[in-house]
Amino acid sequence: MKKKLLSALLSTAMVASLLVGCGGGNGGAATNDNAAADNSTTTTDNTAADTQTETADTNTDAAADTSSDAAASGDKFYIYSWNTELQERLAYVFAANPGMEERIEYVNVGDSNIYQDKIDQLLQTPDAEDYPDMIAFEAGYIMKYTNSDFTIPVTDCGVTEADLAEMYPYTITIPTDQRDGSLKGVSWQACPGAFMYRTDLAESILGVKSPEEMQAKINSWDAFLDTAREIKEKSGDATRILSSNGDVSNVFNSNKSEPWVTSDGVFHMDDAMVEYMEVSKTLEQEDLTQKTTTWTEEWNAGPSTDAVFGYFGCTWFLHWTIKANCGGSAVGEGTYGLWNMCQGPAPYYWGGTWLGATAGCSDKELAGQIMKSLCCDTEIMTKMSEETLDYVNNKSAMKALSDAGKGAYDFLGGQDFIAVFSPLADEVDVSWMSAYDLNVNNLLGTQIAEYQSGSKDLDTAIADFKQSVADAYPAVKFED
Amino acid sequence: MAKSNSKKRKTVEYGRYGYFFIAPFFIVFLFFSFWPLIYTIGLAFCENYYDTMFNMEVGPTFNGLANFKTVFVSNSGTLFNTFTFNALWNTIIMWLMNFLPQILLALLLAVWFTDTRVKLKAQGAYKILTFMPNIITAATISVLFYSLFNFPNGPINQALIYLGIIKDPYNFFLSKWATRGIISFINFWMWYGNTMIVLTAGVLGISPSLFEAARVDGATSGQIFRNITLPLLRPIMLFSLVNSAIGGLQMYDIPKLLTNSGLGDPDFSTRTITMYIRELAFTGARQMGKASAVSVVLFIVTTIFSLILFYIMRDKDAIREKKEIKAAQKARKEAK
Repeated sequence: MKKKLLSALLSTAMVASLLVGCGGGNGGAATNDNAAADNSTTTTDNTAADTQTETADTNTDAAADTSSDAAASGDKFYIYSWNTELQERLAYVFAANPGMEERIEYVNVGDSNIYQDKIDQLLQTPDAEDYPDMIAFEAGYIMKYTNSDFTIPVTDCGVTEADLAEMYPYTITIPTDQRDGSLKGVSWQACPGAFMYRTDLAESILGVKSPEEMQAKINSWDAFLDTAREIKEKSGDATRILSSNGDVSNVFNSNKSEPWVTSDGVFHMDDAMVEYMEVSKTLEQEDLTQKTTTWTEEWNAGPSTDAVFGYFGCTWFLHWTIKANCGGSAVGEGTYGLWNMCQGPAPYYWGGTWLGATAGCSDKELAGQIMKSLCCDTEIMTKMSEETLDYVNNKSAMKALSDAGKGAYDFLGGQDFIAVFSPLADEVDVSWMSAYDLNVNNLLGTQIAEYQSGSKDLDTAIADFKQSVADAYPAVKFED
Repeated sequence: MAKSNSKKRKTVEYGRYGYFFIAPFFIVFLFFSFWPLIYTIGLAFCENYYDTMFNMEVGPTFNGLANFKTVFVSNSGTLFNTFTFNALWNTIIMWLMNFLPQILLALLLAVWFTDTRVKLKAQGAYKILTFMPNIITAATISVLFYSLFNFPNGPINQALIYLGIIKDPYNFFLSKWATRGIISFINFWMWYGNTMIVLTAGVLGISPSLFEAARVDGATSGQIFRNITLPLLRPIMLFSLVNSAIGGLQMYDIPKLLTNSGLGDPDFSTRTITMYIRELAFTGARQMGKASAVSVVLFIVTTIFSLILFYIMRDKDAIREKKEIKAAQKARKEAK
């Protein structure tokens, strides 16, 4: 009997240790996370819960207390994004709001391709320590979150109608919940796009001397393709108008007459997209681009060589991509100073980042403070734009900078980038956007690769494209 | 009855303690393998996804065989012409393309390394070298091969142009068969060392006296290989075949990492079944129901594969022997 007892004890001990082993692993990881934040797991959990209930109960008055309480106890406020851009912009907010920085835990997911998957998982666990309090959204999928109950209206965070006065209208249209019209996110940047080209190559190859002349050469897609042929021919194959065929995609995406999926859930293949496929095929078949892939090493190398004539890019693209890859940091180095911008074949807008608070946001007051400082405060935004040359989402800030002559940009050979972007930003039309954009565009890319190489005809490519969309989204209806 | 029971108690039975010691495995298995399996099969009969428009979960509600219908029949009504079977087909092709050369080379090397007459030098070093690729992570290898075959300026393209084999750089990752070939080659290169070591162990397990006897009788190397090594290596071959088939059907890392979009470029021709399941379940509309249905198909295919392999590789002699023994017993009984 004794032996039996002993053995039972032993085996239970073994099982227990096994399970404890698992739990211990998790616990260990959790403590590690917290160790960065504070000393003990339990206190954090308690304070987090307290903060939440308190904020819920006494929304306005106690909130200030709560935030200071929480700051004292080290309750972390999680902000998620996919790169360091937002983090760098938040530095301006911290500078204006002393004491805020200690509370913010900025999580850089690192890859915009997995960002949605990661956020979707996190939003399912409102009780988790690392549940996001605020999340950044990219234009390609923002509607998936703003049209859902995972995000809360910015008015709940204390952002008022008056705070939004200086924003460009489209940056407000996009994050508006289509169900009840409430605003779910705000942005600090506006991203109208232009065609950025090399002035020295334009003059030596095409004899073009000003942005206006350049615009005349590429004001429609036919003209654009003719110019592309001319560049290839006259440069003796040394220069191509674009680096990759995919570079034109954003221009076409912005010029759809209807979104991929309309509000009643019906898929819509736009004529602009068919034209995109045709232009892409012409570029490929006539060898008019370098045939690289967007964002690859070869593609990034383009701005520093004479092999690429220009890029389609927007406000952030100018600084983050072309300038960063031009091979120099002052006039005379690399291609620095040898660039200009003009509108290109069609007005368009590309990307942009919004910031929203989640349903389980632990401190709405703080979220509102960040939103106001980052996206509404003209003073902070003027400073931000002046120092980073970001095109901020604040009309009076941009006007003041332009009036003060701060827009003249030595990278663009003295061209005033604000003067180019300003009229474009006012006119951006975003009626073509949908929550499906990013993934559906990727699926289209797969079929365009087949179509432009000639291994599929147009009808097959479109049919296969529709089938892949149907496979990915069971709720989407198809008319034919 | 009672008597025998009391008799039993007098002897200490150690056998049952064994159950306590294997219990942890079964408990863990029940929770982490068996329950998910049952749950997946259940989900396969449910409608469950997220409506992207408003990011809301739909289901899970029972919808019978609807998921399986979309898995087996395409929109236009053709059987098997679906993304699921396309992915399954890709997986099987890429597995065959890497497994056939892999087992042949591994067999050849295993026989050479164990042959007492050939006596290769520096075997240890070579074994380490062949095993190396298996230790490097798939991510590293994918990046390596991606840069090797890069377009237009990758080393392979430059070498081919320099040698005059091609005139213009060739974009390997736009060609279905080139991409499949590269993926198969990586898998072949990563795993032949592993297979070789398993087979070497198998050959070493064969009694050396058999080889010696055959050699004394004047058998050629070919005859020894065909009539001694191969038949006696059969159980080990079966093991590595089944192992590789199951592993091959779950191929994921290399094809996922090698292509730019991670969707199995070009035109989904390198999308394996596990990549497809992940895509369904965790991206886009997060279709758990359909992903479960595809998983069930994969489960069935894997089972069929294993059963076929076991059937082909069964020990025919042992079965015949068994039959003969049975027949003999029967004959003896009848004679009595």
